[in-house]
Amino acid sequence: MLSYIVRRVLEFIPTLLGVVLLVFVLFNIVGGDPAYLLAGKVSNPAQIENIRRQLGIDQPYPVQFLIFIRQIVTGDFGVSWSTNERISAIFATRLGPSLTVLVPMMVIGTVLSMAAAMLVAYMRGSLTDRAIMVACTVGQSISILVYIIVFQYVVGYQLGWFPVQGWGNGFTENLLRYSALPVLVLVVVTLAPDIRLYRSFFLEEINQDYVRTARAKGMGEARTMGIHVLRNAAIPVLTNVMIQLPGLLAGAFLVERFFSIPGIGREVILAVERSDFPLIKAVTVYVAIATMVVNLATDLLYKALDPRVQLR
Amino acid sequence: MKGLPRCIGIAALFLIWIAAPAQADNGKILRVTFQAAETGFDPVRISDYYSGTVIEAIFDPLLTYDYLARPAKLVPNVAASMPSISKDGRTYTLQVKPGIFFSDDTAFKGARRELTAADYAYSFKRFMDPANRSPYAFLFEGKIAGLDDLVAQAKKTGRFDYDARIAGFELPDRFTLRIRLNQTDFNFSHVLAFPLAGAVAREAIETYGNETNSHPVGTGPFRLKSYVRSSKITLEANPGYRDRTWDFAAGDNPADTAIVAQMKGKRLPAIGGVEISIMEETQSRWLAFLGRQTDIEYQLSELAGIFMGADGKLKPDFAKRGFSLDRSVDPEITYTYFNMQESIGGKPNPVGGFSREKIALRRAVAMAYKLEDQIRIIRNGQAIRAQYPIPPGVAGHDPAYRRGIPHDPRVANALLDRFGYRKASDGYRSLPDGKPLVLRYSSPPTEVARQFDELIKRSLDSIGVRVEFHKDRFPELIKLENECRLMMRGAAWIADYPDGDNFMQLLYGPNSKQSNNACYQSREYDKRYERSRTLPDGPERNRLYREMTRIMETDTVWMLADSRYRNVLLQPHVMGYRKHPVLHAEWLYIDLGQRPGT
Repeated sequence: MLSYIVRRVLEFIPTLLGVVLLVFVLFNIVGGDPAYLLAGKVSNPAQIENIRRQLGIDQPYPVQFLIFIRQIVTGDFGVSWSTNERISAIFATRLGPSLTVLVPMMVIGTVLSMAAAMLVAYMRGSLTDRAIMVACTVGQSISILVYIIVFQYVVGYQLGWFPVQGWGNGFTENLLRYSALPVLVLVVVTLAPDIRLYRSFFLEEINQDYVRTARAKGMGEARTMGIHVLRNAAIPVLTNVMIQLPGLLAGAFLVERFFSIPGIGREVILAVERSDFPLIKAVTVYVAIATMVVNLATDLLYKALDPRVQLR
Repeated sequence: MKGLPRCIGIAALFLIWIAAPAQADNGKILRVTFQAAETGFDPVRISDYYSGTVIEAIFDPLLTYDYLARPAKLVPNVAASMPSISKDGRTYTLQVKPGIFFSDDTAFKGARRELTAADYAYSFKRFMDPANRSPYAFLFEGKIAGLDDLVAQAKKTGRFDYDARIAGFELPDRFTLRIRLNQTDFNFSHVLAFPLAGAVAREAIETYGNETNSHPVGTGPFRLKSYVRSSKITLEANPGYRDRTWDFAAGDNPADTAIVAQMKGKRLPAIGGVEISIMEETQSRWLAFLGRQTDIEYQLSELAGIFMGADGKLKPDFAKRGFSLDRSVDPEITYTYFNMQESIGGKPNPVGGFSREKIALRRAVAMAYKLEDQIRIIRNGQAIRAQYPIPPGVAGHDPAYRRGIPHDPRVANALLDRFGYRKASDGYRSLPDGKPLVLRYSSPPTEVARQFDELIKRSLDSIGVRVEFHKDRFPELIKLENECRLMMRGAAWIADYPDGDNFMQLLYGPNSKQSNNACYQSREYDKRYERSRTLPDGPERNRLYREMTRIMETDTVWMLADSRYRNVLLQPHVMGYRKHPVLHAEWLYIDLGQRPGT
């Protein structure tokens, strides 16, 4: 097991180097020269040169790339080019709000979609199954923007159940008051595709011999579905959930923008708009590392859930 | 008898209490929104509108503008009076009022810190310190005697010497500042009233180092209470703010009389604080306003048709709910420029140069442009046609002037025919020498830019001129523009200060590769511009501006387009609000009544 983990960790290095190289090339080719944005409405060549020197983008590309590598190794990505705020401070202050919305969304969404998927898989071919599948197909076809606009207008403004936007100072207030509507929207948005996907996982398991055997031996339906089928279907469900985890780092930028949540997703959009490379670099690297770590953790969890799985 | 002095004392205290204007009411918190995130609150490090608005509320420039007078009128702020200007327009002398203090801060180590003239000299120097890379350095660059030498020295040594004495900033005593300019400039007072030209305290700047963007310490009416970057900014009334009462005369707007009646004699600021939420999305701002979660909403042009009739007034159902609307035209112009150089990057430029056929082509394009469609479709009716390069509300604007280039595709076609731009069988014209005629219009890849592209295409199709579109990211467009490498592009300019010079410099030859994005070089224009800079606002300068406008029109450097409306929606309990053309933090001058349901 230990040698497997060490080998996988060593494999992180070339993968990360590839990501870093790609980000670096993309920013320098596609990103545009931030000096012209920072110079303001009137600039002259001397000012542009001064800004480029201060940002370090007047250096040759290999030097800039080495600085990037050093930043990854030290974990110090410096300061934002547009606000002068430390990148570490941006993560420290923005991750909390993002997670306050995204963790409840993921937990509630996963529980609800698994329960619904198990139900429709169990009732496959029935009117309920067909109705829910049609609803999921329709629901999946609608843009998240429509959900946000409709929920904000109807639930937030017309019914007045939740604030239409905003963010407070305390965790409880944010979790119970300000996160409620964004979480509701995200859960509704993710339900449709997740139910369809998880239904297929459950259906695959329901048709397995061990289920037929369990039923033949007189095991109750609740026990068959709730323990045996659920446990085996949990492996692909777990994969799906784990794949989504690194995304938490990048936040759900649309929801954060519409509901004025000071999260990391909104910050990333601002960074792209302002060509704020230090923040873009940091987010990309952290998401890449998180993805690799989560993939490793998923494989280890497979082993824990299903002893038949061999780690090689 | 023993109780008599006590009674007299109580009566005296009561009289003082009723005679003194009330202090800021800390319970009155104004709630507003910004539609984009701020970048910080260090006056020299920012260039965005939103950060500038907060800075205006925290810092004090020497001069400011009368709240109600239109066009904007300069008045003293922390200066005891308007500056004394020497006859040659090169020396400005100002007295800072004594007894004004910075808001308390740990940088002052428990002592009260009085504002002095040296604070302004220091603050102005900061704009030019290369380490600050200030976007507004151009306000001081080349103007103050000796300041540019300090910059040159800083570039050599890597350190800006703030202690070095220069001829441009003389401090005869603690409260006197004498500014010596390199050239005659009777309009430098506008720079002294520029909201970012407020005084910072050197101790605070040195204490906070790289964190000055989040630790503003000023002498203004508000101070920063809490700050969640890009999300929420909370200001509170500065308890140490100097004694100031609302005392403005009504201007030419009929609504001013009611404002004066509501506000006269109130202690400023009348409100206890401002809570600013950053809401990028229009729907969020609109619903928050309708749900009475915000008090003032500044930016709802996209939704103007919902709450406003074609007459520019609130629709009856909104008026019935007590909302009110403050509508004004921003001091800005939008325009499309032609690159006036004969060639771009070594290739011939079909729209550049001063030959008669080049002028005819530019004139025809300008005549073909469907400006009415721009205002009706793209601006949603929320703009007026710009007639003059200096917009209304700005000193030097000529309300009688009418642009000399009408929309007339028929005449435009005739003009092109006459100068040899012949149409081929595909309906598109060629150059007089028979080579293909293709114009190149540059724009960023945004939804609004795409609408402009379509309008340009339709307009030029009407005269048989082929156009191709060059799409690029905004920073790249600016870069190419600064190198005079774009053929045509739409641009906008909003007043930094309400003086015509701020607009007329956009076509001054030496400003090519800076603000003169058409790279226009006209000896006649430049000669008049240079003369205009030596004159104060007045008939002689206005005459020069008219002549310069005619020269620019004759050469057809720009297709002058429009100036946009700013529609500000107010909740019923907001008192005394009137949008100022250049001040943005009107929060100092307003009050809040009882909120419905409280």
